Amino acid sequence: MIKLENVSKSYKGGSDAAALQNANIDIGKGEFVFLVGPSGSGKSTFIRLLNKEEDPTDGRIFVAGKDIGQLNSWKVPYLRRNIGCIFQDFKLLEKKTVAENVAFALEVIGRPRSVISKQVPAILELVGLSDKLTSFPGELSGGEQQRVSIARAFVNRPLILLADEPTGNLDPNTSVGIMRLLDRINRTGTTVVMATHDRGIVDTMRRRVVELDKGSIVRDQAQGVYE
Amino acid sequence: MALKITYMLRETGTNLKRRISLTIAAILTISISLALFGSALLARDGVANATARWEGGIEFVIWMNPEADADQDAAIRRSLDESPAIQSSTYVSQDDALVEFQDMFMDSPDLLDAVEAADLPPSYRVVPVDPDADVVVELGSQFLNQPGVRDVVFASEAIKDIQTQADRISRGLLWVGVVLLFAAALLILNTIVVAIGARRQEIEVMKLVGASNWFIRLPFMLEGLVHGIVGAGFAVLGMVGVRRYVIDGFSESQSLALLEGLRVTDAELFNRSLWVLAIGIAVGILGSLFAVSTKLDV
Repeated sequence: MIKLENVSKSYKGGSDAAALQNANIDIGKGEFVFLVGPSGSGKSTFIRLLNKEEDPTDGRIFVAGKDIGQLNSWKVPYLRRNIGCIFQDFKLLEKKTVAENVAFALEVIGRPRSVISKQVPAILELVGLSDKLTSFPGELSGGEQQRVSIARAFVNRPLILLADEPTGNLDPNTSVGIMRLLDRINRTGTTVVMATHDRGIVDTMRRRVVELDKGSIVRDQAQGVYE
Repeated sequence: MALKITYMLRETGTNLKRRISLTIAAILTISISLALFGSALLARDGVANATARWEGGIEFVIWMNPEADADQDAAIRRSLDESPAIQSSTYVSQDDALVEFQDMFMDSPDLLDAVEAADLPPSYRVVPVDPDADVVVELGSQFLNQPGVRDVVFASEAIKDIQTQADRISRGLLWVGVVLLFAAALLILNTIVVAIGARRQEIEVMKLVGASNWFIRLPFMLEGLVHGIVGAGFAVLGMVGVRRYVIDGFSESQSLALLEGLRVTDAELFNRSLWVLAIGIAVGILGSLFAVSTKLDV
């Protein structure tokens, strides 16, 4: 599903160490992969490269068999329709209700109103927010906001879900709930790649762990632990 | 598709309403600049109509008697052709004069009904080699007493002056209009940049979920287009006012007899309005296109 071949990324004017160095990895369909490592190790760069928010300095990245470096700029949105993203800061639109935030993701890719009116309540039921359709993000707890963010990322049934520190702003109990939800999504066949600092979650879930240090992959362990 | 169009229109409307003061400023600037631009074009049309018979260096017109016989006419034509002081001359028959009259007074059907070709005398429009006023008067006067000639009319200094001044004024208006149009394009650009800034978070989410580049850009471009079209609409209203109250006012003025031919036809007004509308649309699209292509990284 995801393949990196000798991928490096460095920033102009940045420090001498590259954000990512000669990374090689193959992630299969339906896998759940934790990216771990200290701050600045390259986890977020890894996520942004997969979503083509940035391009690698060297190497090739394949998503669903396609070399995304060869994609024309007008095709990038179609790539992103197959990749859901969730973030530590949720990135919800404060002036839209929960239902409108989720519907927005379908509306802007031109899905018909009939599809939107069916899929939005269904996905909000999946994330346990059926009773919050008309609430605004400011009225929700952090965990609930992250659930809305997950609903928005998953409503279009993407092949891949990228999560950049999704539990970074949440307390441990709430984080467990979010991880259960991501696990459930993963069981539908969606590949999940999650960057995290949360040792407890990684050690409990026992999934594939890829450790990055100063931009290099230093460990790739099936059913791994944080370190 | 229906949802996309509804979405685009809704977002464009929301953008316009969110920054209503900037929207009004952009529309006013574009309408004033286009009104000046359009009025300059109308003034040119009006003056061209009023002085049509004096264009192309024509310095005097020999009006013939409608009853002049062929020999008298031939004698005048021979004199004009053989004179080394005359560069060229054009014969305007009664039918040609009627066509010209119909063009000039096409908005006055009563007048057109009252005039026939036979009412209009034929004439020769003469371009002398030397346009010096004394030379022209001396040359034209030679024809005054010849058989078959009713009158000789000279392009007076006043007419030349009107042509020169009108040309200068309309050129000045055109330049002011062009400068203001540039200002309007910049204002539209800045309005769109502000709109992009205000919706940065929304745009970020749209990119993340895979909205196409044009889906993100189009509402902003439609906003620029609305500025251009509404601004041009007001400018056209201004041009209609200029024709009614300024140009027609001059032509009706008794004290400005020289300007009685100053008029702009409906066809000319329509034609210039289309120009103004096209320029308004172009300025709106170019301003917003520049904004989205430089400030909206999709």
